[in-house]
Amino acid sequence: MVVLIFFLLGFLLIAIQTTFFHYFPNWLGRPDLSFILLVFSGYKFSWLPGLLLAFLLGWLMDVTSGVFPGTYLLLVLTVFSIVKFLSQNSSVKETIFQIPLVGVSYFIVQCCFYLFFSVTQPGILPPWSWSRIVQETLILLVASIPCFVFFNWMYEKITTRRLASRRLKRSGGNQFRQMKR
Amino acid sequence: MGVESRMLRPKTNDRKKVARFRFTRLFLLLFLFVVLLLVLLSSTSGSRFGVFHQITLEALGPIQTVFTRISINTIRLKDKYIALWNLQEEIDQLRKELDNYHAQLDEYREAYSRNRFLEAELEFKKHETFPALMARVVGKDPSFWFKTLIVDRGENDGVVTGMVARNSHGVVGQVVQVSDNYSKILLANAPSSAIDAIVQKSRVRGILKGADRQGYILQYVLKNADVKVGDVVVTAGIGGVFPQGITLGTVSRVRSKRRGMFLEIEVEPAVDFGRLEFLYINLSEEQLVIDKLSRTSSSAGE
Repeated sequence: MVVLIFFLLGFLLIAIQTTFFHYFPNWLGRPDLSFILLVFSGYKFSWLPGLLLAFLLGWLMDVTSGVFPGTYLLLVLTVFSIVKFLSQNSSVKETIFQIPLVGVSYFIVQCCFYLFFSVTQPGILPPWSWSRIVQETLILLVASIPCFVFFNWMYEKITTRRLASRRLKRSGGNQFRQMKR
Repeated sequence: MGVESRMLRPKTNDRKKVARFRFTRLFLLLFLFVVLLLVLLSSTSGSRFGVFHQITLEALGPIQTVFTRISINTIRLKDKYIALWNLQEEIDQLRKELDNYHAQLDEYREAYSRNRFLEAELEFKKHETFPALMARVVGKDPSFWFKTLIVDRGENDGVVTGMVARNSHGVVGQVVQVSDNYSKILLANAPSSAIDAIVQKSRVRGILKGADRQGYILQYVLKNADVKVGDVVVTAGIGGVFPQGITLGTVSRVRSKRRGMFLEIEVEPAVDFGRLEFLYINLSEEQLVIDKLSRTSSSAGE
């Protein structure tokens, strides 16, 4: 259920990215909201649901972006796995590291992405531009603060509601009668 | 007794003096009054101002003038203030009206430019020889590495991979992926795009590569070729994908480096890729045949 809701959220975010964001001025950039969601899922989701969500997000990105299907899928799964691994086995899981990690991971992903394509398909990507990458990373960092707050709020809302409904189910039947016995 | 009489004497003297002074004063006042009355009566005779009246008037006149000026100015100031107060309201109202007119003007301008754009597109469609399918751009690539668009036409409309997308200005790109109702188009200014092109004026051939923000770069043009800034670059029509003579852009910069045998030519795209709303997909049968052939060859390979 949580995965489905977050997948729908990712769907919406990608739709926004591919439409509204293109009307923004260049200096405002186009923050990759689906990437923020991906890193968030690395923090919050357990391995299996998280991988499923990452897979779906990668699938969506493949459909909307680029010309080589499968690239984003691979990239997204790798990023999720690394973030998940780091958040489980290091102090990075602390809240204070979450936002900087989004920026750092985004920057590394862009570098790896460019490196991968310059080796496998040279000349297919535009020339590397430090200023552009740094600008995009900074914009993503700024955008990730409200996004994390919103995703967290949503996650808490869904999980608490689910827990409450489970408790209600467990404590079913006539409690008064049970107490009498 | 002797002492008392001595004490009373000066008192009686004083009383006499006071009485005499009072009488003198009264007399003087009466005299003055009579004189003034006489002067007044004599000066008012014949309804003319006498000397005294004139003097009085001359003395009063400037003071009156000053007071009148002050009061007039005060009234003017008050009137101006009230007028300003009203004016402020009027200005506010006029500003609001102006804002409304500006908004209306923006709407009319937008409608006008849209109308012109649609007229141009219609004209293009009327005069174009290829079977054009109009498509609306519904999405753009979210990443800054790739240059692709998603349009609302797909296989159900007859679109297949490899078809050329154009608009009235020139070549937009090529269909790279298709679903039932939507297709993805790789823009001509993507670095992975390469089009056989010629400079219209000098008929010099080259390969037009996409260069992201720079537009295009015309490659493999020899240094001795006659290429100048402002020359129009069109499709060469070699390879069968793009028909001959479709505008691609205008030469914006020509550089000849010491090393190498080719010129470095930058070409400004004719199409404004940032503001694409509609485009036409060339539904000619050539591409259908190519697509079918490629499909059969790939299935045979499997």
